[in-house]
Amino acid sequence: MKNVAIVTLKGIFRDRIFHGILVNVAFFVLIPSIATLSMRQVTELSLTLSLSLVSFILLLLSIFLGGTLLWKDIERRYTYSVLGLPLTRGRYLLGKFAGTAIFTLFVSIVLGVATYLVVSWVSIIYPPERAILWGNLTVCILFEALKYILVIAVAFLFSSVSTSFFLPVFGTISIFLAGNVTQQVYEYIHSASGSALSPLVCQVAVGLYYILPNFSAFDLKVNAIYGIPISLSGTLLTFVYFVLYAAIVLGLAVLVLSRREMR
Amino acid sequence: MSAVSIHGLSKIFKGKRGTKVVALRNLDLEIGAGEIFGFLGPNGAGKSTTIKTLMGLITPTSGRALIMGKDVSSPEARRHVGFLPENPAFYDYLSAAEYLTFVGRIFKMEAPQLERKSEEVLKLLDLWDARKRLMRGYSKGMVQRVGLAQALLHDPDVYILDEPMSGLDPIGRTLVKEIIQDLKQRGKSVFFSTHITSDVESVCDRVGVIVKGEMKCVRRVDEIADGGITGYEVRHIATGSDSPESITVSTSDLPAILSELQSAGSHILVVEPIRKNLEEFFVDIVRQE
Repeated sequence: MKNVAIVTLKGIFRDRIFHGILVNVAFFVLIPSIATLSMRQVTELSLTLSLSLVSFILLLLSIFLGGTLLWKDIERRYTYSVLGLPLTRGRYLLGKFAGTAIFTLFVSIVLGVATYLVVSWVSIIYPPERAILWGNLTVCILFEALKYILVIAVAFLFSSVSTSFFLPVFGTISIFLAGNVTQQVYEYIHSASGSALSPLVCQVAVGLYYILPNFSAFDLKVNAIYGIPISLSGTLLTFVYFVLYAAIVLGLAVLVLSRREMR
Repeated sequence: MSAVSIHGLSKIFKGKRGTKVVALRNLDLEIGAGEIFGFLGPNGAGKSTTIKTLMGLITPTSGRALIMGKDVSSPEARRHVGFLPENPAFYDYLSAAEYLTFVGRIFKMEAPQLERKSEEVLKLLDLWDARKRLMRGYSKGMVQRVGLAQALLHDPDVYILDEPMSGLDPIGRTLVKEIIQDLKQRGKSVFFSTHITSDVESVCDRVGVIVKGEMKCVRRVDEIADGGITGYEVRHIATGSDSPESITVSTSDLPAILSELQSAGSHILVVEPIRKNLEEFFVDIVRQE
């Protein structure tokens, strides 16, 4: 598994998709100038913009790398030679996933450092009214990384099923969009306004809430931007949720890939 | 213990609209240790399906296959195998040296042994100078040679090669034949598929012909050559003549013609059998279908 992860990492670093997405890092340079448009909350805006840029870059990487890595191996027939080695399909898939996840963590650290530099620079020029909680910022970026690693796991599940590029990429985008709103929908149907909905709609929404990944649980941007304390129990629960959900999704992906015919 | 054992192997693929395609039908085969086995068949006969099943890439519908006594469904069976897929493709973002390192580590080779063997196979296959270049810049023949290099790297007991001469120039083909002959001398078993009958003739002990998923025959290559005498060429010098003449006679007519020539006082120089070659043997089997 380690060897597959190492080769996967090499492949990503030499991939043109990664190089293309990397160009977006240049936008960090523009953030201090754009943040001054807020007049009063320059530091808060620089934090918001930096975290949004981090999230956007990680989203692009997770969709395009997660959705294409496994599919490309099958499409380009690399799997014939690799799976002809004494390697189980499970170890192969988990090795590829591990390589992509390590890469995502690495990029998150690099983007985190860029965020620190930008926010520090802005806060020196425009001192904020309330202190910046750097610990919150660190936890926020870590959970962004975990969220996108979970997105990659979903992309791998789609790749293990699909013979084309479309399902892994567009299926993952759909799950990502849906997974970001399920919490709000769940809260809405349990509110007074939601009681007007039909029981069937409520049941479907609740079912989807439990099946789809809940990405909003990973979103700690507000805590990082406005210095709101982060609940330790909440983050622990989210971490356990991440581990369990990723394990289930990857377990399914391994099961599907193991049964797949490499014709 | 046989290097490769195949018992009643069948594979049925599900086609579109519920149709079924029988790719392999009750295949039986034993390949012994130190044997070179050529697997001949026309396009779509089931050669690659057989090989993919042996390598665990395809699950058989029924039957069983073993490599060195281990069921092919287990990755452990592949530990004894050097496998070259048909038209191989390798991670093109790696160099040949990096890919061999990856393969060697999967086979749990020790670092010094891996380094030594990598150098040996890269030099053998004339890839040493290109070893640090990314494979995306390699020609088809070079990729094929990387495929052979990674199959040879861990010095396995069994080699399963799908069209090993494909994409190679005449020098490369000769090199592959030499490698296969060297493997035979070292007691290794080689199972390789091909369309080219002359490749089988020159290196194989036995040949199997598969047509429409069925093994039509398994024969020793020397038996095909011996049993395939279609006639004789008789060279002789007739009485009163200075130059030799050649006549072609059928097997049944040979004794009569020889005694006729002798009684006429001709000096018989040579009687040479005309053999049916493997290509004609193969074409006959395919045409019977």
